[in-house]
Amino acid sequence: MMDYLYDGTFEGILNCVYHHYYTDRAGRICLKEEYQPSLLNDFMEVETDSAKATLVYDAIEEKISTYALQTVYRAYLSNDPEKEMKILRYLVLGFRDNYAAAHHRTDQAVFEMETMVKKVRCEKERMLQFVRFEVLASNILYAEIEPDNDVLELIGDHFSDRFKNDPFIIRDVKRDKAMFAYEGHWYISEGLPSDFDLTRSDDEIAYQHLWQTYFDHIAIKERINPGCQRNFMPARYWKHLTEMKRKAPGYDAAIFTVGV
Amino acid sequence: MEEVLMKKLQILADSAKYDVSCSSSGADRNNNGRMGSAHAAGICHSWGADGRCISLLKVLFTNKCEYNCEYCVNRRTNDCPRASFEPDELARLTVEFYKRNYIEGLFLSSAVEVSPDYTAERILRCLQLLRFRYGFAGYIHAKIIPGVSPEILHQIGLVADRLSVNIEMPTSQSLAAFAPQKKPKQIFAPMKQITNTLIETRALKGPGTMFKGDRLNSPDNIIGPMGLEDVTSMGNDTRALVDPRKRARKGSFAAAGQTTQMIVGAGNETDFSILTTSENLYRTFKMKRVYYSAYIPVVDSPILPDKSTAPPLAREHRIYQADWLLRFYGFRVEELLGGKNQNLDPDVDPKVMWALRNLDKFPVEVNRASYEELMRIPGIGHISARRIIRQRSFRAVKFEDLKKMGVAVKRARYFVLCCGRYYGQRKFEPETIRNSMLQMENGQQLSMFDNNWRRLEEGERQEKLALAGVI
Repeated sequence: MMDYLYDGTFEGILNCVYHHYYTDRAGRICLKEEYQPSLLNDFMEVETDSAKATLVYDAIEEKISTYALQTVYRAYLSNDPEKEMKILRYLVLGFRDNYAAAHHRTDQAVFEMETMVKKVRCEKERMLQFVRFEVLASNILYAEIEPDNDVLELIGDHFSDRFKNDPFIIRDVKRDKAMFAYEGHWYISEGLPSDFDLTRSDDEIAYQHLWQTYFDHIAIKERINPGCQRNFMPARYWKHLTEMKRKAPGYDAAIFTVGV
Repeated sequence: MEEVLMKKLQILADSAKYDVSCSSSGADRNNNGRMGSAHAAGICHSWGADGRCISLLKVLFTNKCEYNCEYCVNRRTNDCPRASFEPDELARLTVEFYKRNYIEGLFLSSAVEVSPDYTAERILRCLQLLRFRYGFAGYIHAKIIPGVSPEILHQIGLVADRLSVNIEMPTSQSLAAFAPQKKPKQIFAPMKQITNTLIETRALKGPGTMFKGDRLNSPDNIIGPMGLEDVTSMGNDTRALVDPRKRARKGSFAAAGQTTQMIVGAGNETDFSILTTSENLYRTFKMKRVYYSAYIPVVDSPILPDKSTAPPLAREHRIYQADWLLRFYGFRVEELLGGKNQNLDPDVDPKVMWALRNLDKFPVEVNRASYEELMRIPGIGHISARRIIRQRSFRAVKFEDLKKMGVAVKRARYFVLCCGRYYGQRKFEPETIRNSMLQMENGQQLSMFDNNWRRLEEGERQEKLALAGVI
């Protein structure tokens, strides 16, 4: 048994899968910087080799299915601490049973994987719902998000089609990376340039007020149901929601004194 | 100027909030304008303090109303602040909200100002501005006011994704009592026109999986002058509106179909008559949805429940569940209700209610049952039914597998066999199953603290305990 340490990339995980078959069985797969050595297993730093990664990548698609490949990639975006081993167990099963693997939902390996990927998929949907843009003075739409899983790249196509005539930036605050999009194309890079001007446009605060007012008035007071609201809109997202941040912990009302 | 807009938005949101529908589903298109797109499944952007989703900007165009419907907050004799939007003002507000990803589109309804046609023309003007001047490609749901002329309705349909005409009351008697200025004829005529135009543009999809496999868009389905009793003699034939040489493009007219809405608990209708009306609407007009709204006493009226009455939310919930059974599970109303059963069981969901009454059809062996049979087992829905079928083609489904497949085992266990074995109560009797199910639903050994329990007499409690095998 061997503990594999990798660099946190998708190619890195694929390399670990390669070594699981050609070097030694994997006991654990961990990030290099987070590894705690154990007494039982040896450890090895896996060098990320793109040739080996491609080999595994193609093998998944050919021997299992495109669906499995997509599942594995989405699983990679998950924040699950065990995701590497879950991916490995899923692939081991897949290489044994070929395409039928995905249908063995009651198999522990498949079940773990499907539940993990479901969380990623749900959070992607949530980001389609919960991104809140602000219009900057430069006419760029700017939003900040803080998803649990790394779903930023999954929402690019949706927003770049929808706002193809407006340049926009969606920044993942937690991972300090941002998506830049214009005219239907998008890319992701690290953070924002330090001199980026975040001044809001003149009427931005007014529209935020209008939205908050609308939000307060559309609720029927005879049906108030905070539990239901929180179910659909968990409190951890409130910080970045225009209508809810007033209620989020640590909210500073001062930024809203300008405007109407 | 912002303050004026703010005031208007408050008033017109307050007036619109009793409209139920807020879905943005049914239309799927990429950005074909300047801004916007539609997502087939719809996207909710927020949830209000009442837990209802906010997907569309739901406002009235105006709340200045000529009508005096008893149940309505905007009735002419109600003393409340009144306001109207200007077409351009509302179009711009929609675009600005949409740009910030607050909303998925616009839900535009209106009170009847001056006349139905006058109001509808202003709505049309606003929607056309939105679509053509602002290049908005997002979702638009337009409410059709009963009595509007077929030409204007057609024009509105060409810019909207979804249309709806509210039926409001489940029977023509209650409509006559509560909304004397609205006639059944005025309500059914636009419904019929919408369905017929959808057939002509080959875009009729129908509710849920109710008409799966049927060719809904064949000309035979065009609703002629004969139909439901109420529908007979409704409006004139409007087929001539769509010029056969210049047929509207496929799906260009109200691509997401039509819906309607009914108030629950204002009159004294039973669940049976409400659901029968819904089923008729589904079968006749192939509507996508019927929405239900628990009546909230907003105005004092001698013929309505008084202001202290709580809205019948639990009843509304059960009716929605039954509605799903109609649209997705292949049930018919007469299977669920009828005879001495005029109302749904408040304690258990309608599928459990049906199953308990038809215990001779159970337990069902999950490894042999057809898809349709699986769909009728409480606790199994279309996803878990498909998973069961997929798995059993290469491996038997065991009881432990059910949970992983997404089956609600706490309900299903009483009605299934897995590999010939039964996992429910020892006694296979409706009362026994019902009792043990109710206790589990509360996550406690016994439902001491729920309302059902408190409603019971001492003797009945003893009986329940005895049946559950506790004493």
